[in-house]
Amino acid sequence: MKTKAIWLGASLAATAALTTPVLAQERVPAVEIYTTTEAYDPIRYEGAFIIAEAWRELGLDVTVSPLEFRTLLDRFYSEQEFDATILGWSGRVDRLDPQFFLGTLDSRQAGLGANNPGGYANPDYDALFDAQSREFDIGERQRIVHEMQDLYMGDVPVVVLFHRDEVVAYNNTAFTNMNAMAGEGLYSEWVPMEAEPVGERTTLRIGGPQEPDNVNPLASTSVWGWKWMRLYYDRLVRLSPDVEPVPWAAESVEAVDEVTVDVTLREGMLWHDGEPVTAEDVAFTFNYYMNSEYSYFNAYLAPIASVEATGDLSVRFNLSEPSAPFATITLSQIPILPKHIWEGIDNPEDLTPDQIPTVGSGPFVFDRYDRGEFMSLSTNSDHFHADNIAVDGVEFLIYADAEGVFTALQTGQIDMTAWRMEPGQIPLAEGNDDLTVVSVPDFGYFHMTFNTRRAPFDDRAARRALTMAMDRERMVNVLLDGRGEVGTTVVAPVNAFWHNPFVERFEYDMDAARQELEDAGYSWDDEGRLVR
Amino acid sequence: MSRRTYLIKRVLQAIFSIWIIATILFFLFRMGLPDPTAALITEGLNPEQRAAVRAQFGLDAPLWQQYVLFLTNAVQGEFGTSFSYRAPVSEIVWERLANTMILMLMAIILAYGIGVPLGAWLSWRRGSRTDTAGIFVGLMFRSAPMFWTGMIAILIFGVWLSLMPTSGMRTLPYDADGFWDKVLTLDFLWHAVLPVMIVALYYLGSPLLIMRNTMLEVYGEDFIEMARAKGLRERDILYKHAARNALLPVVTQLAVTIGLAAGGQVVVEVVFSWPGLGREILNAVRTSDFPLAQASFLIMAAFVITLNLLVDILYTTLDPRVSFR
Repeated sequence: MKTKAIWLGASLAATAALTTPVLAQERVPAVEIYTTTEAYDPIRYEGAFIIAEAWRELGLDVTVSPLEFRTLLDRFYSEQEFDATILGWSGRVDRLDPQFFLGTLDSRQAGLGANNPGGYANPDYDALFDAQSREFDIGERQRIVHEMQDLYMGDVPVVVLFHRDEVVAYNNTAFTNMNAMAGEGLYSEWVPMEAEPVGERTTLRIGGPQEPDNVNPLASTSVWGWKWMRLYYDRLVRLSPDVEPVPWAAESVEAVDEVTVDVTLREGMLWHDGEPVTAEDVAFTFNYYMNSEYSYFNAYLAPIASVEATGDLSVRFNLSEPSAPFATITLSQIPILPKHIWEGIDNPEDLTPDQIPTVGSGPFVFDRYDRGEFMSLSTNSDHFHADNIAVDGVEFLIYADAEGVFTALQTGQIDMTAWRMEPGQIPLAEGNDDLTVVSVPDFGYFHMTFNTRRAPFDDRAARRALTMAMDRERMVNVLLDGRGEVGTTVVAPVNAFWHNPFVERFEYDMDAARQELEDAGYSWDDEGRLVR
Repeated sequence: MSRRTYLIKRVLQAIFSIWIIATILFFLFRMGLPDPTAALITEGLNPEQRAAVRAQFGLDAPLWQQYVLFLTNAVQGEFGTSFSYRAPVSEIVWERLANTMILMLMAIILAYGIGVPLGAWLSWRRGSRTDTAGIFVGLMFRSAPMFWTGMIAILIFGVWLSLMPTSGMRTLPYDADGFWDKVLTLDFLWHAVLPVMIVALYYLGSPLLIMRNTMLEVYGEDFIEMARAKGLRERDILYKHAARNALLPVVTQLAVTIGLAAGGQVVVEVVFSWPGLGREILNAVRTSDFPLAQASFLIMAAFVITLNLLVDILYTTLDPRVSFR
C-alpha cells in the first residue's frame, strides 16, 4: 500500500527558510523492495536490508518484502507490480555476446512479461541497440556497445549489485586438467573433453542437485537439460573457454555478404547410429526448429529467413537482416538433429521420455537417464575430436540438495560439482587435500531494478542518489565473503572485450547522495523525511 | 445395520472425501501457486512465447473446463502430463511411490516388529531402570529431527568410516529392468540400511509407548486377574492374554503410519537423495507443476482414506466388541 501523505503546513514552514520560491512539497511515496526469501537466497535477502537501511537514512520510507521465488518472478515480469526488485540473470555462455543483457534495457522489451520490466525508455539507446546488432565489423560493434553502457549508466534504470564468483571443486586424486570457464564453472562442455583421469576410474562423475526437466531437444526449457544434451549433440560452432567461436561441426563459416552465410561441414562425420551427417540434416534442423512450437530458441533463430542445403556438405543461411551475434550465438546454440529420425515426428513436444530420440553426432553417446538418479554417456570413438578425449564416458549423479553433493565429493563418489558450493562448504573443501577448489568470476549478475514508471524512481536524480546510497562493497565483502565483484554495467568486467570500464561507477557515498537529491530540489521535513 | 450396508456406506463416504480433496487440490494449486511459466522468463522467453507454452499446458482454457477434464481423467487413473518432465504423471508418481513405499515399509516393519514386543516387555518391567531407559530412547529418537540424525549417520558411517553408501538406491553403473529387478539386490539393501534405520528409529517410539501404556491399562482388567488366579505363568499372561488385547490402538497407529508413509519422509529422502515421492512433491510445488502436484497429493490422500477404511473394517474382525452402528 502506498500512502501519499501530504504535509502542507509542516514542510512548508520547514523549507520556506531554505528555498526561495515557496512550493508545496510533499513526501516522497513509501517504497517497497521485493527480494527473495531468506531460505531461497540469503544473499539477496540480506542485500535488500543493507539497501533499505541506507535509504531510510536518506529519509525514505522503505519496507522489504521477501517473496517466494516464482511469485517474485511473476510480480516483476508478468505484472510489473513493484517499486524496486532484487533479482538476477544467470551467466549462460550465449549471454557473453552483449546482445541479451543490453536487450534488457531496450524500451521495446518493456511490455508485460518481457525482459525490461523497469520500463527504461531511451530512444538513443534503442537506436544504438539496433545498430550494434547489425554491425558486422567487430571493432565498430565494440565501440557502439561501449557507448550504450556509457549512455544508460548515468540514468541508472538498473543497478548491477554484484557478480558472484562461482566456487566449485573437483577431486584431484581422480582427475586432472580441469579448467573452469567463466559463467560455466567446471560443468562446461569442454571439461568432459579435457579431463584426464589419474585414478582408477576413467569415467568422469559429475554430481549436482539439479537435473534436466527432460532431454527432448524440442521441449527442454532448462539450462540443465541443455548442459547435458550439448555433450551428445554437435553444434556448427562451439564457444571456446575464452568464448571465441570455434568451428566445430562446421569446417568453415563464411559471410558471403551481410545477409548470406555459407557453412561447410566437416567431412566424414557420423550419427551415433552410423548414418552420415550431411548438409540436409543441418538445413532440416534449422527449418524444423523454426516451424516448431518450441520457443526456447526463438531469439537465436529470429535473424534467419531461410536455410538450404547447397551441396552434400554445404549449407546456406539467408538472414532477414544483418545480425552480428549470428555466428557466436545462433550457430553455437542450435544442436544438429538427424533428419532421418526426426522428419517422421510431427508433434515432437508431446514425446514421452521413452520415445525421445537421443541420437546425436557429438563427442559422447547417450547411454541412459534415470530420472532423479543418474544419467550417463559414453565416449564416441568415431568423433573427429575423439583423439583428444581421455575419459571413457561421463556420468551425472543427481542429488536432492547441495549437502548430498558435497558428501559425495568428500567420499569420492563423484569427481566434481556441477553447481556452486554452499558458502559453508568452501572452507571444508579447501581444508581437504584431495579437493581442489576453483573460483571463477561470473558474468551473470544480481541486480536491483527500479520501476521507472513510479515515483520516486521515475526521477533520474532520485535513482542516481539512491544508487549512491548502496554499499555494494559491503555486500561483496560481507555477504559474499569477498567471493565476487561489485557490479558496474550489465556487461560484466570479466567479459573484457565488450565491457566498458570507463563509465560512472556510483561509489557508496551518502553525502554525494544527499547532494544529488538537494540539487534536484528535494529536501527534508521536520521528521527527516524526504520531500519534494 | 447389516455388515453390507455398513460397508457400502463407508466406501461411498471414502469416495466422497477423495472427490472433495481432489477439488480442493485443483483450485488450491491454481490459485495459490504462481504461474508455471514464470520461470521461463529467466530463460529469456518473451510474452508470446510464454503464452504458447501456457496453451501447450492447457492453461488457456476456462478454469471449469480444466477442472472437468482433470476429474474425468482422474477417474480413469490418468493425471495428464507433467509440465516440466513432459512425461505422463501416472508413470512418474507410481515409480516414485514404489521407491518411497519400499523404504517406508521396511522401516515400519522394523519399527513395529521391534517396538510392539519391546513395549510389552517394558510394561512388564514397569518402573525398573530398563523401563526408564527404554522410554528415554524411544522418546529421544521420536523427538530428534531426522535431518539431524540422518546427517550424523552419514557423517559417521559414510564420511568417517567410509562403510556405507550415503545417497541414492544403488551403485553405479547399474542395469536394471523393472522395479523388482532393481530392488531385489544386495546392493539395494546396502543402500537402504542407513535411511531405513533412521526412519525406523524415528517410528520406534510410537508402537513402543502405545503398547507399553495400553498393556498397563490391560493389566488392571478382571480377566488378567482371572488368568493369574488360574495360576498361568506370567509370560503366558503377558503375551497370550494381555498383549493381544492391547494390540488395537497399535493397529490404528500402524494404519495411519502406513497411510501417511505414501508422502514419504521428505526430510529423509532429501538427506539420503532417495528418489521418492516426497522429494518429487517438493519439486512439483516449487516448479508449479500442477498435474504432478495434484496427482501426488491426491494419491497420498487416497492412501490415508483407504487405509482408514480398511482399519475400520479390520476392527470388526479384531475386536468383536466393535459393532456396525
